[in-house]
Amino acid sequence: MVHTSLDVVDEKISAMGKALVDQRELYLGLLYPTEDYKVYGYVTNSKVKFVMVVDSSNPALRDNEIRSMFRKLHNSYTDVMCNPFYNPGDRIQSRAFDSMVTSMMIQVC
Amino acid sequence: MSRPAHRRPEYHKINKDLFVLTYGALVAQLCKDYEKDEDVNKYLDKMGHGIGTRLVEDFLARSCVRRCHSYSEIIDIIAQVAFKMYLGITPSVACNNSSRNEFSLILDKNPLVEFVEELPAGRTSLCYCNLLCGIIRGALEMVHLDADVAFLQDRLKGDSVTEIGITFLKKPDEKKYRRKK
Repeated sequence: MVHTSLDVVDEKISAMGKALVDQRELYLGLLYPTEDYKVYGYVTNSKVKFVMVVDSSNPALRDNEIRSMFRKLHNSYTDVMCNPFYNPGDRIQSRAFDSMVTSMMIQVC
Repeated sequence: MSRPAHRRPEYHKINKDLFVLTYGALVAQLCKDYEKDEDVNKYLDKMGHGIGTRLVEDFLARSCVRRCHSYSEIIDIIAQVAFKMYLGITPSVACNNSSRNEFSLILDKNPLVEFVEELPAGRTSLCYCNLLCGIIRGALEMVHLDADVAFLQDRLKGDSVTEIGITFLKKPDEKKYRRKK
């Protein structure tokens, strides 16, 4: 499910091409007929992709909230990257990052 | 011969993040090169020693401190002038014993560990800022003071504060000079 959404993200990036000035990318898609959920994507300038899967039974989250969640994710991600012991590509094991993500998810539920 | 003009302290500022990330890269690379924590600590201390012996000249030229008459004066200057000048922090000083040759510098805020949340698994006895100990030791050596400098407590290892212990060692040649006189 997440893999197909990654394919869609790649499609979108290549479609935007040279006009990729706005780093933000919000799209609502992949509503499967049986399982209802929404997938949001966000790509940074370093081509790091964040994918968020939200259960549709939730009252629809507003665009602003999604944007701010992605921004928080991005900020925490940069903090993780600055850790000298973290190698890009490793699984993120930072406690601060995990607690930020958990608090975001609790806020939404 | 005319007296040289008083050297005004010129602070060439660099970005703090660049400095912190550079230090982090240094420690990370040492960790990749050496398996044992003791080796990494030892090399950090050695590097710090090299820096300290050179840095003390720069420090003395810029700060124009007067000659110190006691160990506690020296420690105060290290904490309030040197740390402030080079790291922008002022650790608090504590004296640990009655003969006044063991002191502690307590750092409540350490800019070098800003991005490091915790030590990686398997590196539990790594002294991340051991370079600082080497710098202090090297600087004191250049002013003819032998001291043992080591971390007593470290926030990265789970302690509540970061504490650097400085123990001044008695100079063995002091007694010899007295006898000659």
